[in-house]
Amino acid sequence: MRWTLTLAAALVLACATRPAAQNAAGGTLDPPRSPRNASYTIAAKLDPSTHTIRGTETIAWRNVSTTTATELQFHLYWNAWKSDRSTFMRERALAGGGGAVLDADRSRIDVTAIRMGGAELTGSQRFVAPDDGNDADQTVMAVPLPRPIGPGGTAAIDITWTAHIPRTFARTGVIGSFYFIAQWFPKLGVLQDQGWNCHQFHASTEFFSDYGSYDVSLTVPRGWMVGATGVERDRRDAEDVTTHHYYQDDVHDFAWTTSPDLVERIAQFTHPSLPPVTMRLLLQPEHLAQADRHFDATRTTLKYYGEWYGPYPYGHITIVDPAFQSGAGGMEYPTLFTAGTRWLSPRLVSRPEGVTVHEAGHQFWYGIVGNNEFEDAWMDEGFNQFSTARALAASNTPDFYEQRFFGGFVPWTFGDMPLSRSVDENGLASYRSSAKRDAQSTPSFRYYPATAGGITYSKTALWLNTLERWLGWPALQRIMAAHFAKWQFAHPKPQDFFDIANANAARDLTPFFDQVYRSSNVFDYGVQDLRGAGGSVDAQQRTTVVVRRVGEAIFPVDVVTTFADGEQVVEHWDGADRWKAFVYDRPSRAVSAEVDPDRVLLLDVNRTNNSRTTRPQGPRAATKWSLKWMVWLQDCLLSWAALV
Amino acid sequence: MNALSALGEGIARVTRAPLILAGVWTLTFLVTLPLALGLRGMIADHLGSSLSADQAAAGVNLEWMQEFREQASGLGVTLRPTVVGAGAVLDNFSAFLDNTSRPVVIVGAAVAYMMFWLFLAGGIIDRYARDRATGAHGFFSACGVFFFRFLRLSALQWLVYMFLFRRLLEWLLDGLYPRMIHDVSVERTAFFARATMYLVFGVVFAACNLIFDYAKVRAVVEDRQSMLGAIAAAVGFIRRNYASAVGLFVVDSLAFAAVVAVYILAAPGVGGAGISMWMAFFAGQLYVAARLWVKLVFWASETALFQSRLAHAGYVARPLPAWPDSPTAEAIRTLG
Repeated sequence: MRWTLTLAAALVLACATRPAAQNAAGGTLDPPRSPRNASYTIAAKLDPSTHTIRGTETIAWRNVSTTTATELQFHLYWNAWKSDRSTFMRERALAGGGGAVLDADRSRIDVTAIRMGGAELTGSQRFVAPDDGNDADQTVMAVPLPRPIGPGGTAAIDITWTAHIPRTFARTGVIGSFYFIAQWFPKLGVLQDQGWNCHQFHASTEFFSDYGSYDVSLTVPRGWMVGATGVERDRRDAEDVTTHHYYQDDVHDFAWTTSPDLVERIAQFTHPSLPPVTMRLLLQPEHLAQADRHFDATRTTLKYYGEWYGPYPYGHITIVDPAFQSGAGGMEYPTLFTAGTRWLSPRLVSRPEGVTVHEAGHQFWYGIVGNNEFEDAWMDEGFNQFSTARALAASNTPDFYEQRFFGGFVPWTFGDMPLSRSVDENGLASYRSSAKRDAQSTPSFRYYPATAGGITYSKTALWLNTLERWLGWPALQRIMAAHFAKWQFAHPKPQDFFDIANANAARDLTPFFDQVYRSSNVFDYGVQDLRGAGGSVDAQQRTTVVVRRVGEAIFPVDVVTTFADGEQVVEHWDGADRWKAFVYDRPSRAVSAEVDPDRVLLLDVNRTNNSRTTRPQGPRAATKWSLKWMVWLQDCLLSWAALV
Repeated sequence: MNALSALGEGIARVTRAPLILAGVWTLTFLVTLPLALGLRGMIADHLGSSLSADQAAAGVNLEWMQEFREQASGLGVTLRPTVVGAGAVLDNFSAFLDNTSRPVVIVGAAVAYMMFWLFLAGGIIDRYARDRATGAHGFFSACGVFFFRFLRLSALQWLVYMFLFRRLLEWLLDGLYPRMIHDVSVERTAFFARATMYLVFGVVFAACNLIFDYAKVRAVVEDRQSMLGAIAAAVGFIRRNYASAVGLFVVDSLAFAAVVAVYILAAPGVGGAGISMWMAFFAGQLYVAARLWVKLVFWASETALFQSRLAHAGYVARPLPAWPDSPTAEAIRTLG
């Protein structure tokens, strides 16, 4: 009887905790998860001979703001690569990236017709540059409305356009016969209470748009594989082309890929308390042996992110393994993402696992929680970097130091150099190199272009991991899950997260966020002195430990002093003053002192100065590493000796 | 004498003159030692009495290494995880083929090292050509005699190599290769394209190396004054003995590849700072010695092959110098 009751309870629990996955069939979600105020019906045809897409779209838009719209603003992202004078290209040059672009490799979106209701708006459009006033930038198009649209008002806009596909640029375009098509259609900005939020395309930031339903028909050469956001509902062949019909509710973008070479693999994700997900992998033939690694990494993401933050609701996910040189790898789109691997990818290195977990993770932080990536990129990239590192560690995914030689083709794994979650996966080195360049509160698109990685990804991951160590994982998980629950299918701002954090942490974290978010100050604590007095009184040895705040940022830290007899004294220092001295009279001398011994403060940019010992191993370490380096140098010189 | 017997004879001659191998190993050691000591000082200063050193001593502390490199300059920036074990060999070989630039201090050490080799080359080849003990005075006399000749030869030789690295290799890797793979979307295809570039460069480089090697051999064995003449004679010899000369170069190269492969497979990893540190260093020195041995075998076997075809074993045109033969010594002798 007891067994029967237990089984019945388990069945009830299983049914109760499995959200209605069948709703995800065909790309529909019922009930709606988002406002669905910007829905697109698109018909597009790819012409591989001219590398163009001709498309028509109907946008069903509803004004969900409190302001009245007198114009519409659209992103025309591909115009960023129309000329070198665009804001994107100027920023790219400032960051020192990329070389000259051939004219044949450039792209543009030509809008040929705009209609609204019965009104012909073609020709009334103009380009605007809200971020920098760059007249040469054509990535934002403004279209005056024939009549204002007030709060709650709706509009249906018909647009015809031709998109000239670039050679892959910023993760979209064509290489050989591999097409990865993203940011490819005229796309509405987001109307907020303050007006249109429709930024120009910038070199180091991504995107922002409203949620809606996407009903998209893609016509491609017959026999070509297609992968896209959503679910393929039907397929129609006509002579030498095939039209693939995709549909998805509650997403804020639509991307797709097509190629005659892609190989399809299907697998399932199942979990006792999370909805099942069909995983569709579109793989390059040369990576067939890595199919399971892609699936396992995606399972890891769906499992851990699902358990930690909330379930993945769509029921399906498409993993695209991009072609070599496509530059399309490592990018997220709703229900679809690009991973990225190499032909030779050793098991001890987390490629493709790292990028797969990261991009699959964006389904949660970007896809479901839709922050503004132009302004607050750290809210998805940083959250996700932290979560990626945590998921990789939780799944025991091996990751060792790797170096690639001979043009990057030949990998070599250093099997005795494991990478750590806290330092390597979070990206401390990247943060350290750009720590002072920008405050995180600076709108992301205004960061110095080369800064974005360190501040957006690494700094956030490091301060979240610091919070995890400071507050404990249950508290941080509660914060992030609450944020996820409250802001799914919506557009949170930084303060929204801070409010939730303060509410769930049972303490005021504002001073911490002031340090890590509103400032570019760095954390650096160190032991300045560890001194023992020469004499002794009553057989007591006097030890003085001086700790110092070298950086400008403040964080409470522990200071542990270890004595020769094994005794340890832990002091709690608020870290506010520039220095503090601790004096001890103990039966034995101190042998070491260390600030932050548990490594709570992962943002400390100089770990080497955090400790001092009276039994230093520095000389031995120096001997060891200089001997290894000497053999390297001898080998290097022998290479040169071949010239004699 | 065919290529294999020339290789065997070359190995025998190198074996019969162990002091040369010991000498060039010592040279290699001494050139690198001051730099290693300099780096040791930098590392010791950076670690100070930090507990971070414990992990760096016991194994690897990648975080400390990143911090160190970020704060270092000159030599310090070259301390990377790739200096460990097989990584060191791959790093250098890859840098050589990919034309990767090195810090000035490394280039300076390399130039000094090459100059030492240039000085020693005449003595080494002379010793192997004679295949009998010549004593220090005979060895260094040959070094001195041929240093300025080889300096003239190297002027041309390094112009050629400069062209190979600055023009040919750059054109292959930065010009032709990108064009070849511009629309390639399969990594394997690109890899084979790049491997082809390496092969093309390798063949041209080896051909030049072969010519300059025989130019040195002919200059020493035939006591040639004109280095242009030596090059022309080397080309003539290779043309007339194409199969043997190229075959010998190939088997010598295979010996080189074998040494590198063995070290890559057997190279010690990070290890600790105790006995394993010295064992690893000793293994590294064995590898260095083996590399030097291969380089010497190249010269010795090429000398043996040349002598077997155009002279006879042990033939050297230039007589061994008598010692002391300076005017001062003669005057002292006369006084007596």
